[in-house]
Amino acid sequence: MEGIQNLLEKYFSVGIIWEILPYLLKGALFTIIFSVSSEIIGIIIGLVTSMIRTSKIKVLNQLAMIYVDLFRGTPLLMQIIFVYYALPYLGINLPAPIAGIVALSVNSGAYVTEIFRAGIDSIDKGQIEASRSLGMSYIKTMRYIIIPQTFKRVLPPLTNEFVALIKDSSLLSVIAISELLRTAREMMTWKLNPSSLTAAAILYLLITLPLTRLVSHMENKLKKSDAH
Amino acid sequence: MDLHKKFGDLHVLKGINLNVNKGEVMVILGPSGSGKSTLLRSINLLEVPTSGHIYFDDVDITAKKIDRNRVRQRVGMVFQAFNLFPHMTVLGNVTLALLKVLKMKKDEAVKIGTDLLIRVGLRDKINSYPNQLSGGQKQRVAIARALAMNPEVMLFDEVTSALDPELVKEVLDVMKDLAKSGMTMLVVTHEMGFAKEVGSHVIFMDEGLIVEEGLAADIFENPRHPRTKVFLDAVLH
Repeated sequence: MEGIQNLLEKYFSVGIIWEILPYLLKGALFTIIFSVSSEIIGIIIGLVTSMIRTSKIKVLNQLAMIYVDLFRGTPLLMQIIFVYYALPYLGINLPAPIAGIVALSVNSGAYVTEIFRAGIDSIDKGQIEASRSLGMSYIKTMRYIIIPQTFKRVLPPLTNEFVALIKDSSLLSVIAISELLRTAREMMTWKLNPSSLTAAAILYLLITLPLTRLVSHMENKLKKSDAH
Repeated sequence: MDLHKKFGDLHVLKGINLNVNKGEVMVILGPSGSGKSTLLRSINLLEVPTSGHIYFDDVDITAKKIDRNRVRQRVGMVFQAFNLFPHMTVLGNVTLALLKVLKMKKDEAVKIGTDLLIRVGLRDKINSYPNQLSGGQKQRVAIARALAMNPEVMLFDEVTSALDPELVKEVLDVMKDLAKSGMTMLVVTHEMGFAKEVGSHVIFMDEGLIVEEGLAADIFENPRHPRTKVFLDAVLH
């Protein structure tokens, strides 16, 4: 019983959590801002790159593949450090928040590329042929026929990716960005009590759970509009 | 002219020479794997010939500098698998190219689309989605969609092969009306009744070559090539 009581005191101290909550909420806000903006940029990068990956332009296709391999095959933490600490030697000085968003979006873009590529590949080839036979260009075919149909199919993997990104954004603490986890750790040191970590975990869940719920709801609606 | 198409080592078209005049309904017959579909798909450049030339109004559409999207706007195509766009309504399917390729105003495109859908007997399905239609209805939408661009030639690639037998007639009827209106048509089909009744010319293909060609009446009554005889015997009886 003593063990349980100690655990409650250390990790579930309501008094401390209440006291530090405003700081944590601010950290959570940063986490949301960084993940949302990086995801949006990542989707744009991924869309363009996936279209290059599925096109027949060989050189660009190769470059896109190298990009994807590079950023999926190395740790995000390393990428963040490179963008913030190494790029200044090339004369590119990015303030920490910008460097953070750049690293997160470029990393996420690599994953999104493959998600979209798989989605595009899964669309029946007849769709492209029907569109092209109407005189629609490749770009228009992508924009009006393929991408809209792809979106529905990539929604689940895209959400998983977004949830992963929300959690990965905690790595931004390495370049001194006070997102949720860093704030929680600062509070832990300040209060000499790790209850802030528990509170942060709950906040992470509060951010990610509605997301996954919302998407399964959207999936169901889309399924109805286009069952084959 | 002297059209060849290779897929890797596979020589699918081995020198096709064919001339189709305005207003003709050219029926393309032959066993599967004879290159019928590939020939059809070459005409709107869905397949680019390995060698040879295709002339459309004396313009070589196989030339390098040709704008393929422009060529395709003049050639309508209907597929065996319908290939309707599932995320758009019936009217959306028919008006898409008018809006996005020809940049037509919305009400103008809707008028053309509605007229075409009435013409193929689908007035009450305008706002339905493709998954709410029968196969025959889907194929009629696909025909209306291809007609929307006001093409000079229509290509039909086994358009009734995926249909339940009782739905074939409604599609063939639309095609008959189209033929009567003077549309130039190339039709790959196994519907011999249709070929006989509507076809003005027939070519018979086998192993990537045209083995016999002539007026529809002649070929059905009096096939000369043994391969054609065997095929017609098999499908007519």
